[in-house]
Amino acid sequence: MIVETKHLIKKFPVGKSFFTALNDINIHIDKGEFLGLVGPSGSGKTTLLNIIGSLDVPTEGNAHVLGKSIKDLSAKESAILRNRHIGFIFQTYNLFPVYSVYENVEFALLLQKKTASERKTAVMQALEWVGLTDKAKARPNAISGGECQRVAIARAMVKNPELVIADEPTANLDKANSFHILDTMKKLNKELSTTFIFATHDEKVMKFLDRIIYLEDGKVINDETIKTESL
Amino acid sequence: MIAFKLAFRNLFNAGLKTWLNVFVLSLAFISLVFFNGMIDGWDRQAEVDTKDWSIAEGQFWTPGYDSYDPFTIKESHQVLSHEVQQLIKNKQVTPVLLTEATAFPEGRMQTVLLRGMDVNQDILKLPLEKLKGKKNAVLIGSGMAKTLKLKKDDELMVRWRDKNGTFDAITFTIVYIFDCDVPSIDYGSLYMDIEALRKLTGMDNEASILISNDKNLTAIDSWVYKDNDFLLADIKEIISAKKTGGYVMTFFLLLIGLLAIFDTQVFSVFRRQKEIGTYIALGMTRQRVVSIFTIEGATNSILAALLGTVYGTPLFIFFTRHGISLSDTADMGSMGITASDIIYPYYSVGLIGSAVLLIIISSTIVSYLPSKKIANINPTDAIRGKVS
Ligand SMILES: Nc1ncnc2c1ncn2[C@@H]1O[C@H](COP(=O)(O)OP(=O)(O)OP(=O)(O)O)[C@@H](O)[C@H]1O
Ligand SMILES: [Mg+2]
Repeated sequence: MIVETKHLIKKFPVGKSFFTALNDINIHIDKGEFLGLVGPSGSGKTTLLNIIGSLDVPTEGNAHVLGKSIKDLSAKESAILRNRHIGFIFQTYNLFPVYSVYENVEFALLLQKKTASERKTAVMQALEWVGLTDKAKARPNAISGGECQRVAIARAMVKNPELVIADEPTANLDKANSFHILDTMKKLNKELSTTFIFATHDEKVMKFLDRIIYLEDGKVINDETIKTESL
Repeated sequence: MIAFKLAFRNLFNAGLKTWLNVFVLSLAFISLVFFNGMIDGWDRQAEVDTKDWSIAEGQFWTPGYDSYDPFTIKESHQVLSHEVQQLIKNKQVTPVLLTEATAFPEGRMQTVLLRGMDVNQDILKLPLEKLKGKKNAVLIGSGMAKTLKLKKDDELMVRWRDKNGTFDAITFTIVYIFDCDVPSIDYGSLYMDIEALRKLTGMDNEASILISNDKNLTAIDSWVYKDNDFLLADIKEIISAKKTGGYVMTFFLLLIGLLAIFDTQVFSVFRRQKEIGTYIALGMTRQRVVSIFTIEGATNSILAALLGTVYGTPLFIFFTRHGISLSDTADMGSMGITASDIIYPYYSVGLIGSAVLLIIISSTIVSYLPSKKIANINPTDAIRGKVS
């Protein structure tokens, strides 16, 4: 099991009271799932992803990610968990503008004690997965949005994580590019059994998902597994 | 190490802004080294000049004499004992007889000090040999000549009281004008043969002070020994006061450089929220991000020291070889400051090292102050570039 939440509640202070963004979430996510959190704006998708990614902590209840209890992790332990085991893909790509494509992908490995040649092999492999080996030296501002998001995928995948978290990865992309990156991620999911969790309200994304968890007002209102044909 | 790698990448990629910060900071660094090197060089030079022209390796004063109190001069003279005469013969000391007098250059009146000295001495640089074989001859310094508007071969009427207090007068000829950077030697004194002065004053075989060229000689019968620490104290004080002027300039340059870094850091922390959030998502602790930003700011100072070294080294080598001309800036001598026209700066390893340290430490501090805010950033907001 990759992710398990138990009576997960997240409240945010709003003025003098609290706003409950997640209200008693109980979900299981297994290895190799290609899963989406779907729901209207403000339903708590990002909040849940942040807790699973150990960027945030539950207010009550708990989440276990890759066997770790999120609420009990120290700052250092959660940093290690993110660095080694979780890949992040953001709506706005979040590439480092001053680094080349290659350096952006290499970044997570710099934090690990990997040798230069190990890093090189891994980075080139990751760029190959997303089809960008020829853009290795380019700066993010010199490539298209679709290519940026593919770099972000390479950056998330380069450390071969068990889990990839993608918050609205296609929101800024057109149809063709969205299709391309989803196709890429789906392939990696099949080949490497990497678990993907998306937050989305994009129809195009939903077509690719194996499982959809519907959220509304911080609650799970539906959880359906879809039998998709292998693409 | 990764922090430095990232810092360099970020700085180099920030381009012009980085180089502007680095340049200003390097100016502060260079000016710090430049001023202090100049002061140190001046300090050394003034010390050497004062020793060469005025104090050699120490002085012996007649009891009661005080160089700061002109009223003591009149009574300060004593007969040279056999021991002193022996020391003079051995060229270990040279005697100076002092007598206050009044000179009348072009009808004006000016208090002067008649300094009778041995024309054969070679302890001090004073060119007393120019007096040899000349009657009623005196030497003066070029600063003094300028003040009194006198030239070589001019005549100068001087009046003084002899041993018994009666007025006497004589007209001297200025046989030579010497250049000397030590104001106390240049200004206010007429140099003459000690034998002639002894005759004029009736102080046969007497002297007021003895100048020694033997460091180990610290006592001669009743004479009061004054070592060079005492005799150089004034110069050191004046020079350290001058140092403050240089510091003010350096301080302002440093301030501008540090403000530029501070401003860049504040701006960075504010503008690079998304980057900070992404660092955290990719597996850095917030503390680590704080240190990365701090190191990034501090790296400005390392670059500044490198840049400063690159353009400063030829500059400093040039100044060390050719000196720095002060003659246009001020007439230091008339202000009572020992300064030659050209100062040869002295750049010590200690000076450069402490300048580098100062710049690095101060820029680390101004880099850290804004960066520590990162520790309170909420990564989930930061990732989306939301500014809190
Ligand atoms: N730091 C916070 N402080 C206060 N309220 C917050 C905070 N973060 C999220 N919320 C609130 O929690 C609710 C859920 O937010 P969340 O971002 O998880 O929604 P979402 O499903 O991702 O929406 P969207 O589709 O717009 O991204 C929202 O009402 C939001 O205003
Ligand atoms: Mg969201």
